[in-house]
Amino acid sequence: MADYRLDCMGEACPVPLLKTQKKLSGLNIGDVLIVEIDHSCAMKNVPEWARKEGHNVDIEETGDGEWEIYIEKTK
Amino acid sequence: MKLTETNFYQKIVRDPWPYVTGAVLLAILNIALFTATGNPWGVTTPFSYWGAWIWKAIGGHPESWGYFAEGTAHGKALMQQTFLTNGGSIMNLGIVIGALFATLAASQFKIKKIKNIRQVIAAVLGGLAMGYGARIAFGCNVGAFFSGVASFSLHGWIYTIFIFVGAWIGSKLLVKYLM
Amino acid sequence: MANTVNQANTRTASARATAKKRRNQLPFAILLLIGIIIFGFVLNGIGVKLPIYWIFGISFGIVLQKSRFCFTASLRDPVLTGSTSLTKAVLIAFAIASVGFAAIQYSAVQAGNPVPGFVSPAGWHTAIGALLFGIGMVIAGGCASGTLMRVGEGFMMQWLSLIFFVVGSLWGAHDFSWWKATFMTNAPAVHFPSLIGWPAAIFGQLILLGALYLIADWYGNRRSSQNS
Repeated sequence: MADYRLDCMGEACPVPLLKTQKKLSGLNIGDVLIVEIDHSCAMKNVPEWARKEGHNVDIEETGDGEWEIYIEKTK
Repeated sequence: MKLTETNFYQKIVRDPWPYVTGAVLLAILNIALFTATGNPWGVTTPFSYWGAWIWKAIGGHPESWGYFAEGTAHGKALMQQTFLTNGGSIMNLGIVIGALFATLAASQFKIKKIKNIRQVIAAVLGGLAMGYGARIAFGCNVGAFFSGVASFSLHGWIYTIFIFVGAWIGSKLLVKYLM
Repeated sequence: MANTVNQANTRTASARATAKKRRNQLPFAILLLIGIIIFGFVLNGIGVKLPIYWIFGISFGIVLQKSRFCFTASLRDPVLTGSTSLTKAVLIAFAIASVGFAAIQYSAVQAGNPVPGFVSPAGWHTAIGALLFGIGMVIAGGCASGTLMRVGEGFMMQWLSLIFFVVGSLWGAHDFSWWKATFMTNAPAVHFPSLIGWPAAIFGQLILLGALYLIADWYGNRRSSQNS
């Protein structure tokens, strides 16, 4: 189990979600992916997708208009 | 208790609203706008006026084009109106300012700089394609899609089919060349 | 790695700590609100109808931003990411708007006026224009309303996109006569209720939107169960 970071700062939709999907598919179960974003739409569609897939998700607002999305891969 | 710690602030001002809430409110606003002004919601027609006003100011002659023919609504907008007297332009400015207001109220405003050359290419080509496409299709996702379909017009449904195909082609291009 | 529950707790605690350090932008929002109101009065002096457009624009901007409503995503995500939640929201908006528009159009026609609303010629220009628009909105990361909203959110990429949106619109206006002569003149502007009657058009449209909703719902669930 390890932590991975994915920098999506400055990326517009749908790039953050596509990068997250790609990155997460290569991780092992139990790994945590931390996605850094500053796109207000991605802070909604990335967690929504991850929750729907059944992963554990946590959003943390790290600055003005900046978020870190924690996704723990469960399957 | 500070305002920023109240439940109202967290739920309404800070957190995003559900998509369906947005859908219901946009539909009500579109109906209300139609009732109040006689026309449904559209976004892109004023963009052609902005371009033409600037083009005219720097020495071009858009008034000679068929699109801006005398006696038409477009011709009237070009010759008699300015940014500050054209309702559609004011409404578009309102969308920008309204979004800025909502972002500031949630303390989530941030200037997002252009990250790389791919974003420049995407913005330039995407902007041009949307501008040209919206002119010949009689509207954008708001004017032709949302308001066109709700106006029970055939062109709205044809637009719906082909915007979907276009989005599919755009997705392929984006994944292949721009990511 | 510690287990997730502990991790989550530490994260929440650290989130609170960082949240305190963040700048509160609410005062700027209040200043802007005062500016919005003052500008409304200025517009009232220029033309009585302008404040109406101003208030609607501000409302559209707030709703689009708060709900992260995105027409682009509603058309793009089903093929690209498998999500249909925005597609379903758009169909709901269309259904509600259709009912309201029907009432407005019906009463106008009953009063002997021409059909109000956006009913334009439908033909090859519609298909080609929509194709171009669809490609453009996906690569630029937003359609017209989405670009304006993101301009307000501070996305410099969309500032650039808006400039070229205006250039493209001017270009399209320049070529409009050619498209008109070649495709639009012979293309019919079809208003379904005028063609097949009000009840058939309204119920037909609502049934079609409902069917699309069910397909979107089924597709969204199917995609996510496949991926897992």
